[in-house]
Amino acid sequence: MERPWYWRVGLIVAVAILSLYQLVPSWFYFKLPPDQRNGEAYDKSVPRWAPDARQHLNLGLDLQGGIHLAMGVDVERAVKAKVARRADEIADYLRSKDVPFTEARTVDAGRRIVVKGPALDPIRKTVLDAYEHEMFSPGGAPDGALLFAFKDQVLREFQGKAVEQAEKAIRNRVDKWGVSEPDIKRKANAQIQIQLPGFKDPEKAKELLGRTAQLEFKITDDESAVLEPLRAAAPQCPGSRAGMQFPLPAGGCWTIETIELPSGGSHPVTFLAANTRTELDKLVQDKAAPVLDATKNAIGIGEATVHGEQGGFQGRYYRSYLLRAKTELTGDYIADAGVGVDNSDPLQQGRPVVTFKMTPQGAGLMEKLTTDNLGRRMATVLDDKVETAPYIKGRISSNGQITLGSGTNRQKQFEEANDIALVLKAGALPAPVTISEERTVGATLGPELVKKGTVAALWGLLAVLAFMVLYYRASGLIADVALVLNGLLVLAIMSMIGSTLTLPGIAGFVLTLGMAVDANVLINERIREELRAGRTVRQAVQQGYDRVFWTIVDAHVTTLVAGVVLMQYGSGPVRGFAVTLIVGLVASMFTSIVVTRAIMEYFTRHDTARLSV
Amino acid sequence: MQFKTFDIIPHGTKIDFVGKRHIAVVLSILVNLAVIAWSLPLVHGLNFGVDFAGGTEMEVRFGKSVDAGTIRKAVEELGFKDASVQTYGPEAEHSYLVRVGRIALMSPEDVKRVEEAVRARFPVENMSFNAESGDKIDFQFKTPPTTEALRGVVEGAGVKVRDVREEAGLTAGTKSFAVITQGIQDKIERDLAARFADAKPEVRRVEYVGPAVGRELRNQGFKAILYAMALIVVYVGLRFDFKFSPGVIIALVHDAVVTLGFFAFSGREFNLTSIAVILTVVGYSVNDTVVVYDRIREDQAKYKGRSLGEIVNLAINEVFGRTLLTSFATALSLVGLLVYGVGTIFDFAFAMLVGIISGTYSTWFIAAPMTIWLEERAARKKAGAAPAAAQAAAARASK
Repeated sequence: MERPWYWRVGLIVAVAILSLYQLVPSWFYFKLPPDQRNGEAYDKSVPRWAPDARQHLNLGLDLQGGIHLAMGVDVERAVKAKVARRADEIADYLRSKDVPFTEARTVDAGRRIVVKGPALDPIRKTVLDAYEHEMFSPGGAPDGALLFAFKDQVLREFQGKAVEQAEKAIRNRVDKWGVSEPDIKRKANAQIQIQLPGFKDPEKAKELLGRTAQLEFKITDDESAVLEPLRAAAPQCPGSRAGMQFPLPAGGCWTIETIELPSGGSHPVTFLAANTRTELDKLVQDKAAPVLDATKNAIGIGEATVHGEQGGFQGRYYRSYLLRAKTELTGDYIADAGVGVDNSDPLQQGRPVVTFKMTPQGAGLMEKLTTDNLGRRMATVLDDKVETAPYIKGRISSNGQITLGSGTNRQKQFEEANDIALVLKAGALPAPVTISEERTVGATLGPELVKKGTVAALWGLLAVLAFMVLYYRASGLIADVALVLNGLLVLAIMSMIGSTLTLPGIAGFVLTLGMAVDANVLINERIREELRAGRTVRQAVQQGYDRVFWTIVDAHVTTLVAGVVLMQYGSGPVRGFAVTLIVGLVASMFTSIVVTRAIMEYFTRHDTARLSV
Repeated sequence: MQFKTFDIIPHGTKIDFVGKRHIAVVLSILVNLAVIAWSLPLVHGLNFGVDFAGGTEMEVRFGKSVDAGTIRKAVEELGFKDASVQTYGPEAEHSYLVRVGRIALMSPEDVKRVEEAVRARFPVENMSFNAESGDKIDFQFKTPPTTEALRGVVEGAGVKVRDVREEAGLTAGTKSFAVITQGIQDKIERDLAARFADAKPEVRRVEYVGPAVGRELRNQGFKAILYAMALIVVYVGLRFDFKFSPGVIIALVHDAVVTLGFFAFSGREFNLTSIAVILTVVGYSVNDTVVVYDRIREDQAKYKGRSLGEIVNLAINEVFGRTLLTSFATALSLVGLLVYGVGTIFDFAFAMLVGIISGTYSTWFIAAPMTIWLEERAARKKAGAAPAAAQAAAARASK
């Protein structure tokens, strides 16, 4: 053949060793008792020479216990709220332009706005001048009235934003519980899928339900020195002023940042930082809470991202903010928020800004707040998490904007602006969620299934191995070697891509072993046929493999097609099955076409070779 | 030449598959029609699991044997008329699947009673309840009451309250109240714990799927099977010949229906995993067909001049051992799952086994002979003017 046999045997040995190497983290992962697997104990137990500790096999929710939720976002209601606010805005706007009208309200199940007035033309012109980018005026309105409808694309955008916003609120809440490895995904049809492995409290999980996001504005208390005693109570974060070193020490640490004060000048402000929210919560509870006067101050917790020197993503950590206890304003007073472009500064052309609009009542409160605290920082707190804390640069009343820090990466700035706009909107436009699917697997069921599944898989494997040796003798033994390698390879690939093993996944694993054998049966039967036709052993092996090559490919591809379709369709356990099936089929093609062939050819490399097949 | 074989399956068989195709086709049509008829809701219907039917499903394990009928009666007495209780997994585990078709515990009458009680006390502006999203009633008031007062009134109407939450309303500045009442899981769990105290029931798993989601999953599932079939047929068509396609389609549909038959006739739950099985059967069963078709093509080139019927029979017999053994080997891997299989994977393994057997059968008796039938039809069309020739061809073909 093209390559000497030792090259190919070398390749096989290399694949076997690499597979074993790749399985090292999984080995240590499953050696630990289930409740320690996702913690520090695991990170410590993986030896230094092993591959990345994150590359281990995961157990699906059905095997690990936990909660799977799918939540539907009530986009219709979110759209209705948006339309209702737009109607109020239009009324305000017409009033401010002195255009006479009698009424502006929503109609058509809350999707359109009707405006009545003595003269319609000036109303149409005024409204469309201001809102042409999102609305148009269709015909069919009754006499003496004008209809306004939103463009389809704008409605779709409202719906999309509502889902995005609900997802953000859910993320914030899950974050607070300190669940290890939660998985939150947006799916089609305004659905959000949440997986909380190992989480045992369905009642608490339902906290996600219904409650709309709470948005608050608070002023940071940067002049206060109340947190300074913490410098003695906790370790200092390692690293220079220019940047901290990551990961931060376990349990959290303190550090300082330089804050400009309204009086001019600046002040080093102490804050706490930690790698996880749970750690920081504990640190705040233990160290900061005792020194605080709860009537004066509160600690807010936010997330910060650190960018490397090249602007790439480097790390994420949680940090505290010292806030005044009083909630100055709530999200109830925000009418809307969006992302705009700031062209006022010639040096920062096209810089994104977050624009927001207050309700008439809120405008007064906001004006007073910003006048009193000019130059201070205002924290926007969504569901107990500080999302952003920009300086107040000017007086804000009904229309405000938040300018983002200067940066070179526009794309990133726009994403950030969009994020903040979502936060503001979350307070303004409730996007209620309802649970559409909930699956809770108790903690005792999972381990039992793992045990039974493993035993069942081993029995299947043994049955197949025994059959091959009994029926095909030496060739069967070669197929068995390939089969074991096949199993290793599947597990190794699955740990490498960090995929999830589910109960149907175990069945899929067993099934792919069966299919791998299937390929070996095809080969061996063909070799027998060639031998019967009177060929030498060497010829028979070569002919057998050559002839059967496409048959094996065809057989695998058809099942792969089914697997890929299934992966598109299924979620959770069924998806786990599809992934296992796909990985298994690819591995099976490799082992049956390359591995067994190399071994067979090695043993039959002389013309006088014997073969029991 | 040194080789010895350990043949259980003799080579060089001369079984006349083609000749028996008429009996086989009739048999298959009968079986398929029976499955389809039985699966129709009007006749009997599939036992859709919670994934597809919507509702609440609980896996409950008891410390000792409890009669499924007694459990069903207990659940029915709680007001769930459509309750279904099945044993789950091996007998020795005393595990049961309890399924009810609802998601919300509150019946329309309960909601009405609550509404009347609340309206009598507070100025309700708006009220909404959605039976598809669980035990939660939303209220908006002209003047908001305290959450405690609201809770008191709802409990006074005879509905247990878990939580009352104040939320931001639809428009700025307004408030909305969410009254969350006792759920199905809680109710059933408490009741079973009280009734079967000595058997220590333990709820091990709860699944709850909204009916709308269920319908969607069901439709998507059947669509996924159709897509997979279409893609496979296209692949086989491209790799071989589109004249093989009808045979492949018929065989695929046949195997999918027979596998469905396992769920239909056994009454086992038809759920997401069942769709996974059918898809896998569809992908796998075509393997055998492909092997035989491959050989038909090879033999057609080798033995020019023989009739298609002879070639098909020869090809099936030549690869008879292979077809049988590959199916056997794959089935063998399922042994462990069948012996130790718990719940879902036992059904998985069994249905897969049915699919594998059906796939082998359909290769021999449906897919391969199908090519002859198509050829005959084509020949008859072409030779419409010379019926004698066509008859001769048909006679040769069915030999």
